[in-house]
Amino acid sequence: MINLKQFSYEPGEHEAETASNSYLMSLIAIIVGLPLPIVNLIATLIFYYGNRKSTYFVRWHCTQALLSQLSMLLINSFGFWWTISIIFTDETITSKYIAYLFAALFFNLTEFIATIYTTIQTRKGIHVEWWFFGSLTNLICKPN
Amino acid sequence: MKKSISQGLITILLFLGTWYALAQVDWMNIFKVQQVTDKTEQKLGELFWEVFKNAEREIKSTPVVNSIDSMVTHFCKANLIDRSKLKIHVLDKEDINAFALPNGHLIVYSGLILNASNQEELAGVICHEIAHIELNHVMKKLVKEIGLSVLISMTTGNSGAEVIKETAKMLSSTAFDRSLEKDADIKAVDYLVKANLNPKPFADFLYKLSDTEHEATKYLTWISTHPDSKARAEYIIEYSKGKESAYKPILANDTWEKLKAELEN
Repeated sequence: MINLKQFSYEPGEHEAETASNSYLMSLIAIIVGLPLPIVNLIATLIFYYGNRKSTYFVRWHCTQALLSQLSMLLINSFGFWWTISIIFTDETITSKYIAYLFAALFFNLTEFIATIYTTIQTRKGIHVEWWFFGSLTNLICKPN
Repeated sequence: MKKSISQGLITILLFLGTWYALAQVDWMNIFKVQQVTDKTEQKLGELFWEVFKNAEREIKSTPVVNSIDSMVTHFCKANLIDRSKLKIHVLDKEDINAFALPNGHLIVYSGLILNASNQEELAGVICHEIAHIELNHVMKKLVKEIGLSVLISMTTGNSGAEVIKETAKMLSSTAFDRSLEKDADIKAVDYLVKANLNPKPFADFLYKLSDTEHEATKYLTWISTHPDSKARAEYIIEYSKGKESAYKPILANDTWEKLKAELEN
């Protein structure tokens, strides 16, 4: 699921720190963003825009962090609105709904652990490519 | 590009697969969701019934209780409804009204019985209310109108008596959504036909009450809370077409007359 790869060049100390911060940003946002999943996305998006003119290594990791947040946004928003509809409309709690919450929790947890791991690795200047998001980032983010 | 698409699809499938696999578990049972819901409904039913019991006099005379009970038991038997779930109360009030409360409480005002020309008319209204109970419309309406959190706070005693009173009043004097009313009407026709009762008088009752010339207009709570009575009467007749069977009244004629006489006294 997570691949350690050789980046096209050796990133400098400052680059590694900024890249690592992009993941840290999404971790911090989780605390605020738990009830409202969009907060995580906005936090990473702001960080992404702030660094889009930065070096390739930083841009690459900001993009990966942003993309991973996007997918979580989809999963969490669906769960969020489902919950709202149960509270405010005549929708009722079903086994399907509880199963969805567990599936969402499992994926969020996996993403959370992967984010912590990647934060540490990128801080050391190690390039980490995630399953799906890594290859997607390679398509979007090109060296200058 | 191909790699990204295939990996993306696998990720989506993985998520859906996890969801599907987890959905096979009966979480409702594990977390006792149903039990909690049932308890809330039971408590709400008691609270609201208490409001009406304190405000009006419950008629407990044997001819009245027995007649209504035989009708309800007959419907339940014919339609495989658990009779023990329904709690029927006849209240001494001249309003032409009947309504369902949570946990199977069904309240019939004496005014409704007195204004019904025959037992089939009364049977239609009772079946309509039983349908609301069986289709779980009461709790749906409550959750929609006042929200789950307020309902739960009522059952835990954190809501004032005034809120409970107002909610009980809302249940007795406002209609359900149009679609829920139609569902209940259609179900009522099914109940009547299966119980060998003619559904046409139910439609007639709606026609009759929608007529503003009727002497009891000012007491027509049931009709004013159930709009479009004419349209309802029409689709009831339409739906009952081709369902005719050997209709047979539940109560003997003199029992029906006795019931009315008892209420008039």
